[in-house]
Amino acid sequence: MAQKPPQHEITQLLAQWREGNQSALDDLYPLVYDELHRLARRYMSRERKGHTLQTTALINEAYVRLVDQKNVPWANRSHFFAISAQIMRRILIDHARRHQYAKRGGGARQVSLDEALTVVMPDQSGELLRLDEALKSLAEMDPRRSQVVELRYFGGLNNEEIAGVLRISENTVTRDWNMARAWLYQQLTGSGAN
Amino acid sequence: MTPERWQQISRIFKSAILLDNEARAAYVESQCGRDDSLRVEVEKLIDSHGKADADEFMHGMAAEAAAPLLTNDEASHDLLNKGQQFGSYIILDSLGSGGMGEVYLARDTRLDRTVALKVISPDISQDQRRMQRFRQEAKVVSSLNQPNILTVFEFGEVDGLNFLATEFIDGETLRDHLHNKRLKLSEIVDISIQVLAALDAAHEARIVHRDIKPENVMLRWRDGVVKVLDFGLAKLTEQKYSTLGHDSDPEAITEFRTAPGTIMGTINYMSPEQAQGGEIDERTDIWSTGVIMYEMVTGKMPFRGSTTSHTIVQILEKHPVPLTKLVKAPAELERIVLKAIAKKPGERYQAAKDMLADLRGLQRLELEAEFEQTSPLITPDEPGLPAKKKRVLVFAVVGMLLVTAAIFAVNIWRSSRSAINPSITTPAVAPVERTLTYWITVQKFKEEKPYQDPFTLAGEINFEAGYRIRVNLRSPQQGYLYILNEGPASGAPEYNIVFPTPSANKGSSLLQASQILQIPEKSWLRFDAQQGVERLWLVFSENALPELDSLKQFAGAQTRGLVTDPLRNKAIKDYLDTQISKPEVEKGETLTTVKAAGHLLVYAIKLEHH
Repeated sequence: MAQKPPQHEITQLLAQWREGNQSALDDLYPLVYDELHRLARRYMSRERKGHTLQTTALINEAYVRLVDQKNVPWANRSHFFAISAQIMRRILIDHARRHQYAKRGGGARQVSLDEALTVVMPDQSGELLRLDEALKSLAEMDPRRSQVVELRYFGGLNNEEIAGVLRISENTVTRDWNMARAWLYQQLTGSGAN
Repeated sequence: MTPERWQQISRIFKSAILLDNEARAAYVESQCGRDDSLRVEVEKLIDSHGKADADEFMHGMAAEAAAPLLTNDEASHDLLNKGQQFGSYIILDSLGSGGMGEVYLARDTRLDRTVALKVISPDISQDQRRMQRFRQEAKVVSSLNQPNILTVFEFGEVDGLNFLATEFIDGETLRDHLHNKRLKLSEIVDISIQVLAALDAAHEARIVHRDIKPENVMLRWRDGVVKVLDFGLAKLTEQKYSTLGHDSDPEAITEFRTAPGTIMGTINYMSPEQAQGGEIDERTDIWSTGVIMYEMVTGKMPFRGSTTSHTIVQILEKHPVPLTKLVKAPAELERIVLKAIAKKPGERYQAAKDMLADLRGLQRLELEAEFEQTSPLITPDEPGLPAKKKRVLVFAVVGMLLVTAAIFAVNIWRSSRSAINPSITTPAVAPVERTLTYWITVQKFKEEKPYQDPFTLAGEINFEAGYRIRVNLRSPQQGYLYILNEGPASGAPEYNIVFPTPSANKGSSLLQASQILQIPEKSWLRFDAQQGVERLWLVFSENALPELDSLKQFAGAQTRGLVTDPLRNKAIKDYLDTQISKPEVEKGETLTTVKAAGHLLVYAIKLEHH
């Protein structure tokens, strides 16, 4: 049964996090994770034929559901998007990992008929996992650029929104994206140094 | 690469890509000077930039690229789409999928009625001979016109897809029902009677269901009428398993392969003769009904191992714990269930009719006694609360609230420590030891709903996402029990009080000798997103430990078990570190027994969580 998540609690946590309380983020994370995950799957089952997933629409819906908007300053919205991008990344990576695990045989577990019948996907999961690793290395050298990638690629934010979240100019967002993407491409195709 | 180098490259790169080829080469040259390696790095990156564009690398969003991964979870190979015309039917909605294919809600345009349309997977329906037999059987059963048997309207084939149209039941499966509601004895008896009435009619027509399980029993919401589904269907799918093996006669044997990763349906309701691939008759259905009854009464399946082969061994050999040992249930009910699940078919009820008669007798007895009996006898699972909090294991406390006031907790702790120490150091006349047995029940959850059957594990386990657990404990000795959860180590220690709580075990930490304690009683412990190894601390003491007892105040709705006082957390850590026993650990297949000398046993179960 899909229970409506506690709006009040999330709104408060969001405010606390914005005020610099890092442990509020820890509390927020699982709440938003669950909601996004649920929505993502619902979106997908609705549109499974087209296989498109409008991340932004999805995060917007999660925001409307999770956050009590009467009592929240607008700035919280960008924070919500930032955490959501992070979580979308996590959701997709979790799925990719599980998928890889299943492909390897998954140890001594029982496989239901339904599971066994699902079509084995091409190696999208492996690609995604490698991208995630590369993005982690990028974050070590250059946290901001890796955040730009996270917000845009995983969170589906446009440059203007990213600029708002990170408090940088749109031009910088564009430049960061170009650089990060070129570097990631290099890492993934193995054509780069490092 | 150093961050400085990275910044250097990035500075040149960002300007260079704005220039055309010629100007770019000159610009890079001028910026890099004699630093050849810098130039190489920059050039490579510019090259990658161009290629990434051409390849449409990271064009769009990750979710698009990964979308199939999300849907892949839920067997999303729909055969038909909503709104699609299928013969004289219009598909209204998807109702789900099973081993044999997909089920849809559909409108029959000829008769203007709503039906459930079962489309049989092409790979199953290939065998014409079997399909023919299945049709015959299902037709015979349907023509019995028994109110507890799902009515089949039509068999057909459209575009090479075999389907059957049946009456549509607006209700839920018994499996879902068991997760959503407490069952009272009267309801258990009522459901069982209806299942047996269906079986009795089918058996009269010499048709064995072969796959009675909670998933095949539906309860109509409107009036609670029970409908048994899928008569004859089991044979079709059995044949599918058999083709995996090398049997010359696929009909005689249900082929099982227990190697990891091979296909396996639900086996927990299978009779011993079925599990051995022996002859199957009506008494197999009696067995399965008995297993379902056992589960309805106790909330647990009588035969359930951690793997398929363990389960099969249990079906063949294990004598399940008598019902009355687990719950308060009438002796007559226990007799009926145990007779139904006698290992030898000859010792079971020989006909559904006989079992039906005994259940009706019990029903009468209970009706008569109803005035004296007001409280529900049995309280199995309730849906897990959507508890979401920071700690890795979260204790979902059911309906209660205590004021959180831990101000002098540490002082209480300190003063009470001196109170318990003497008892620990008292020289024992005879060797004293404490023994505690535990096992862990795992329930997978998908989208907040229980998914597949729970299973039992012993010892230290790797947990996957979506696993929720219960800890079951028992000791031959009476004692005070405390369970604390400690998340993966990072920073200051932080504990969750899992037991006692103000409501579990009637709020008491005292475990009676041989009492089976299930924690939590009504919901499940779940993991949050934080990964790593965490510990479930068991503290079992001959004497009450007031400092641990008082932790139950944190089990209130506000903190949900999380000990929010840092001093208190530190004190717990110190305590556990100094008191941890070096117990003798005996690991069985599903149980682990821990023994330690002295009056106090402190042991940590390691749970690995990825």
